[in-house]
Amino acid sequence: MTETMQRPSTSPPRESVADRAPKQSKSPEKIAAILTLLAIGVTAVFALIEVDISIPRMMQSWENAERFFGRVGGLRFPEPAELLALTGLTLGLVLTGTLLAAVLSVPIAYLAASNTTPGSGWRAVARFIGVFSRAVPDVVLAMVFVLMFTLGSLPGILAIGLHSIGMISKMFADAIEQVDEGPRLAIRATGGSRMQEFTSGILPQVLPSWVATVLHRNDINLRGSVILGYVGVAGLGLEMSYAFKSLNYGLGLGIAVVIFVLCVVMEIVSSLVRSAMLGDAGNRGGVFDRMIARMRRNRPARPARIWATSPTSALRRPWNPERVRNVIAGWIAAVVVVAAVVVSDIHWPDLITFWGKIPAIATQFWPPSFGNYDAAVMFSAMRDTIAIALAATILTFVASIVIGSLAARNVAPSKGARTAARFVLVGIRGLPELILAIVLIVITGLGMQAGVIALAIGGIGLLGKLIADSFEEVSRGPERALVATGATRLQVYSGATLPQGMRALIGHSFYMLDTNVRAATVLGIVGGGGVGYYLLNAGQGSNYPLVTAIVLMILVTVLFVEGLAIWMRRVFR
Amino acid sequence: MSSTTASETVVRLDGITKRFGTTTALDNVSMEVHRGEIVVLLGLSGSGKSTLLRHLDALEVPTSGEVHVLGERVDTLSGRPLRDLRSGVGFIFQQFELVPSLTVLENVLTGSLAALRGPRLGLWSYSKAGKLAALGHLDRVGLLDRAYQRADTLSGGQQQRVAIARALMQNPRILLADEPVASLDPESSDQVMALIREIAHDEGLTVVCSLHQVDLAIAWADRIVGLRHGKVVLDTPAAGLSKAEVMEIYGRVATSTVELEAVQNELMDGVIR
Repeated sequence: MTETMQRPSTSPPRESVADRAPKQSKSPEKIAAILTLLAIGVTAVFALIEVDISIPRMMQSWENAERFFGRVGGLRFPEPAELLALTGLTLGLVLTGTLLAAVLSVPIAYLAASNTTPGSGWRAVARFIGVFSRAVPDVVLAMVFVLMFTLGSLPGILAIGLHSIGMISKMFADAIEQVDEGPRLAIRATGGSRMQEFTSGILPQVLPSWVATVLHRNDINLRGSVILGYVGVAGLGLEMSYAFKSLNYGLGLGIAVVIFVLCVVMEIVSSLVRSAMLGDAGNRGGVFDRMIARMRRNRPARPARIWATSPTSALRRPWNPERVRNVIAGWIAAVVVVAAVVVSDIHWPDLITFWGKIPAIATQFWPPSFGNYDAAVMFSAMRDTIAIALAATILTFVASIVIGSLAARNVAPSKGARTAARFVLVGIRGLPELILAIVLIVITGLGMQAGVIALAIGGIGLLGKLIADSFEEVSRGPERALVATGATRLQVYSGATLPQGMRALIGHSFYMLDTNVRAATVLGIVGGGGVGYYLLNAGQGSNYPLVTAIVLMILVTVLFVEGLAIWMRRVFR
Repeated sequence: MSSTTASETVVRLDGITKRFGTTTALDNVSMEVHRGEIVVLLGLSGSGKSTLLRHLDALEVPTSGEVHVLGERVDTLSGRPLRDLRSGVGFIFQQFELVPSLTVLENVLTGSLAALRGPRLGLWSYSKAGKLAALGHLDRVGLLDRAYQRADTLSGGQQQRVAIARALMQNPRILLADEPVASLDPESSDQVMALIREIAHDEGLTVVCSLHQVDLAIAWADRIVGLRHGKVVLDTPAAGLSKAEVMEIYGRVATSTVELEAVQNELMDGVIR
């Protein structure tokens, strides 16, 4: 202590601190990334201005809406029996499609994960399949499959299945890369094969997160299933598109409400299943555990039976609550899967005959061409789509920062504020943005505004939740340190919470942009502006070379955004 | 000690050198282990004990030199013969390395994977005879009543006993143990070490075990092999050896006072980490 105090007097006079301090230096790559980020932000603001969302006009369209609903004369629903059949069909094909993707994703994830892949060549192939399947919108796949199968639910199942591989296999592979390698090494040490290392050492570790991923994707697919109806896939979406085409708005909106309710119910069910499964060490926590515990409580307690007196007596596994729960959960899952396949009424022979049709259909789609359209028209339509995505993303970003921060436990000023913010997020998440877009378009007419507003609102549910979760995950230490220095709540937020969450914030925002580019294309199909409109026209007018050309444009854009996102995540690590 | 017949020598290392990048983990190590022997590898952390053990189960391939286990050259094996060799060698890890979400019984059954073909996806995919054998091993380590619990609900000492049962499931001829008690409290440590010793005696197993506590090594081993910087600096029967003698040998080879202090601190109190 004394030594340090004497030091200033004994050491020779030095230059001032400002001169001695090292100059802050940033790598050129980081500077480039920051400039790109700024450029994207500025472009997004310009896109927003161009889309021209004006409050007075929205107020006016609200009056339109009132008049419109007056004319519609209330919601109408299909006959109960028909409604039930349609709901079953939609749920069945969504679930079957998601399960198909889950099954196909296992080998792809195995090849794509750095710690299980047999070689870098395999890894590149698997990753390419994932990125490619993510980039082609499911609605495009559905259009193609509708041509091959004409009727039935197979086009929808295959479209959902193939498109979902992209996300599911990526998240499966991420989970594999995060496992504890120890148990796997132990299985190798016992003489297990590579396959056994996977099934016994890795699979049990990743299974909970895999199931969570599949459930999450199933929610997304249910929301997206509406659009498949517009290109001819059977189910609620098809009925809704018929209703709107025949100007039967009451029925169309009625079906929209049904789909909304379905999405909310599915969201609640899957979050219950997730929390039950992730309830730590599988002992307490989950809803189902509590249910079983309650059932048990009603029975008189029996004295614990000593069952493990010898290896032979221990062969029979005791029926403890954990086993009861697992068996019930297993049977329910099996019944749901079988029911989904049965309900979706697959015409199995099609699976064999369609291979023969591929060459003929392929020649219809190739080579790509803009046909009668000017290339300039197409490019400007694509530009509109990107503008919609950017404008929606920036709106979502601003709103999500506010709502997401309020929903984070460590930021929210009060418990009430947090609960309210979380409630808003869940409510928005239940609302399928396509339904929102369709309703907005019906009310305000075709155009980019409807698309932007629909995407922006829909995005808040996702981005807000991601932001809230990553803020809650920051380390508490720096926050406490700032509180100890006497900082205000806002200073703690900007000085400790935000800097720690910045990386996640950038990553999530790019994920949002990525999602929005795809969603913006799809929105065009229901009349939300941009290239999607031409895509639907080309498909319905059998102008297949144009379909290919548009899909290629979308593909290039999506891959570009994806590349940008990967680069950003790497730079801001 | 000269081994005249091949059957007596179960492990033979010929001039093993292992480099990871620029660091040399093992430097020209040669040693033999005879059937039924209990050998303890003694050394500070980073001395190469773990690397040496992992070579014996072909979990590492030497940069140069030959590894012979159970009469086979293992550093060139691959595929089925490699897995057959590994199944004859039990391996116990410092961190137990059980699959946390599987039941205790399923974890023990993974020890029989090499004898079975194909993937295993749950208890029903093992034979009744296999299950009975696994339950027998669990009974032996005193955890029969825990058979259907998830592995991560057990304490550290219990998990290590499950890992021993898993090794027994392999019907091994050699048992390798890499710091088996370094993550355990003193009481569990004693239990686990006694269990390994008892099983080795009953089954006539050869044991190679790495430790860093001199007291434990002297009490436990037939023979002590000391490692320092990847080199063998000590190879002597444990009988009659005193702690001071071991310390003396370490002190003689220590090159700096800093290292000598580290040796003293680490070896004298025996409580690491």
